[in-house]
Amino acid sequence: MTVLDAPAGSAVPAVPGRGIVPVFVRLKLTLLRNGLRQSSGRRAAYVASLVVTLLFAVAQVIGLVALRGHAQAGTLVVLLTAVVALGWAVMPLFFPSGDETLDPSRLVMLPLRPRPLIGALLVSSLIGIGPLFTLALALGSVIAVAHGAAAVVLGVVAVPLTLLVCVALARSVATANIRLLTSRKGRDLAVLSGLVIAVGIQFVNFGAQRLGRAGGLSSLEPLADVVRWLPPASALGAVGSASEGAYGTAFGQLLVSVLALGGLMWLWQRSLVKLMTSPDGSTLAAAEPSARRSGGDASGSGLFSLFPEGRTGPVMQRSLRYVVRDPKTKASWVTALAIGMIVPVLNAVQGSGSVYFACFAAGMLGMQMYNQFGQDTSAFWMVALSVSSTRDAYLELRARALALLLITLPYTVLVTVVTAAVLGSWTALPGAMGLSFALLGAMLATGALASAQFPYSIPQDGAFKNVVPGQAGLAWISIFGGMIAAAVLSGPVIALTIWLHVADHQDQLWLLLPVGAVYGAFIGWLGVRLAAPRAAGRLPEILAAVSKG
Amino acid sequence: MPDQAESAGGTDTAGVAPAPPPAVRVEGLWKRFGEQVAVAGIDLDLPAGKFIGLVGPNGAGKTTTLSMVTGLLRPDMGRIEVGGHDVWRDPVEVKSRIGVLPEGLRLFERLSGRELLGYTGRLRGLPGAEVDKRATQLLDVLDLAGSQHKLVVDYSTGMRKKIGLASALLHNPEVLFLDEPFEGVDPVSAQTIRGVLERYTRSGATVVFSSHVMELVESLCDWVAVMAAGRIRAQGTLTEVRGDAASLQDAFLELVGAGARDTGDSLDWLGGAR
Repeated sequence: MTVLDAPAGSAVPAVPGRGIVPVFVRLKLTLLRNGLRQSSGRRAAYVASLVVTLLFAVAQVIGLVALRGHAQAGTLVVLLTAVVALGWAVMPLFFPSGDETLDPSRLVMLPLRPRPLIGALLVSSLIGIGPLFTLALALGSVIAVAHGAAAVVLGVVAVPLTLLVCVALARSVATANIRLLTSRKGRDLAVLSGLVIAVGIQFVNFGAQRLGRAGGLSSLEPLADVVRWLPPASALGAVGSASEGAYGTAFGQLLVSVLALGGLMWLWQRSLVKLMTSPDGSTLAAAEPSARRSGGDASGSGLFSLFPEGRTGPVMQRSLRYVVRDPKTKASWVTALAIGMIVPVLNAVQGSGSVYFACFAAGMLGMQMYNQFGQDTSAFWMVALSVSSTRDAYLELRARALALLLITLPYTVLVTVVTAAVLGSWTALPGAMGLSFALLGAMLATGALASAQFPYSIPQDGAFKNVVPGQAGLAWISIFGGMIAAAVLSGPVIALTIWLHVADHQDQLWLLLPVGAVYGAFIGWLGVRLAAPRAAGRLPEILAAVSKG
Repeated sequence: MPDQAESAGGTDTAGVAPAPPPAVRVEGLWKRFGEQVAVAGIDLDLPAGKFIGLVGPNGAGKTTTLSMVTGLLRPDMGRIEVGGHDVWRDPVEVKSRIGVLPEGLRLFERLSGRELLGYTGRLRGLPGAEVDKRATQLLDVLDLAGSQHKLVVDYSTGMRKKIGLASALLHNPEVLFLDEPFEGVDPVSAQTIRGVLERYTRSGATVVFSSHVMELVESLCDWVAVMAAGRIRAQGTLTEVRGDAASLQDAFLELVGAGARDTGDSLDWLGGAR
């Protein structure tokens, strides 16, 4: 159909519903081609990933075909499909803007009806490496488990169905995610989701160790019995059931996947319509009347009123408020607090730890001192304008370190005591605590210096981006160089600890507590002192470095 | 006031009485970002006690210039003095005398409006009680009292500009630098901001603001510097810069050499039969 065929008098050539499918497919291919044209690095990366995926897909098909007839084939197939489907569901959360053709905000102004649009978007989503991989998996799975004519017929339906459910799942999650991200509260929540994963990984890690000991694929059998009924694995489960002659079960399983596809499409369409027709959530939030308490003043009440006047008090107050209110800062704090507790305590519970593992908490929390100015984002200009001397910079950094200590000191004590209690080795407690203090001081010192010398931007959107492209090297230098330097700086206290243990002076281990505390305080002070002139002299450079997010 | 304006606006050598030092003096200022020259050796003498407009099209180098003048961006070359003090050699004197509202930089948005003012004022070394008193008055005048406990991140553009202006004014600076203070601001907020700025300059303080909206500059300023492609094309009182042109807009287009461009026949279908 060409423009010439359009009825006279209509400004826009009327495109019939299915007519937009090729348009979207072509758009997707064009975007892909233009994206590859932009840089040879990107092209190389794409070709490499394509080759690897193809090899992987082929290997997978061969592997699955080889499994044909194996007793565990059915179990493996449904579990693999479930894992891949989970990947499809989680992917859009990690890469929310992965596909421009699917970004509804770009389509808002076009005269498109939701139903044909969804169809076209679904078809264009099928183009890419991911769908190819999934197709290979589904195909291989059917070959592995299909026995008999009925199963083969079911398999022919199950392969595209599996693929479609996966793609629809990814699209509905992505659209729902975008909807969530249009409000400030939603964005804050999304940033915090990173921490759920960070902490979750710790538990998965410990869980996997357990599973590894229990052994064997057969232990996953009960899990597979459940997954067999979950879409899209149920489509392949149906093929398996049909092979065994359980046609009723097969029909039921297939129906579950079909219904799931319908449900997902319906959800996707609903979110998409809402997204394209309702105002941006941030507008709504700004228009809302203030629901917070009225009265009171900025000097704060309770704890905050005890803070010193001058620069120290307000800076500490702002730092602590940001720990609670800024999603990025909060996420990194909660992660540090959680992991700082989980690692030593879980190790102690499993009987493989030592009280000295509690130093891990000090290390994790001390990391919060790094990139202090990056945490300010470009709002650092307000600090830069009020810092006119080395003294100002010293007070600024010292106040930030004090705010940090207000949380880290009690927490370090808590973690050390809990770890010692779980292990029941109270004699090592003062030593571990002293060592923690020394380490904390060293982390504060190196953190202050790194903040002044190697500042970098923290992107404010997305839960998993902590460095702006191009500054990753800077971030690594800052954090790893700093951690090594901190370890070296706490060397004297570490050496003393080792010596006390080796020379059998266990009764004098308590000495480490005062020594570590004094040494940590001194090193921390020295670091801030040395960082101050660097920060004061590099204000414009720091501002430029932290404003890239 | 009027005589002061003449001595500053006229030739700079003929003063009988010692002329007041310019609020801002810029000499041979350069800034280059890679290949791109953002500011190409500008000289400026901005008189004290005036409402000064720095005008120019997008990308003329206005923001770069203001960032360098306020000490937020290090120049490649050149000298900047505010109130007779070198910005880069004597930051203690300069930073206490200036107020800044930059464009495109964030505020501490996770503080409420009132908390932000409390924080900035105390950072500037004002006593707490005084900060709270001034903050209350500024919030009232700028029509922000109703949202003072809302987080700045939830503010609209106009409200952000107003709270930014309030934090820039809190320590009663001698010179106020505003980068595009009216950009994206609704007419009511714009009028409020105008009122506050006019009252502030009447007290003898200097306001330097950048804008690409000529009508605005023409109605607000008594002194103008025109910037294009990193250079100053003209500077002086509004009447001097405007010259014979009907409006500042016309004078400006002439200065930057962008006279009325005729679209010719190329868009003849636009507005034709549908």
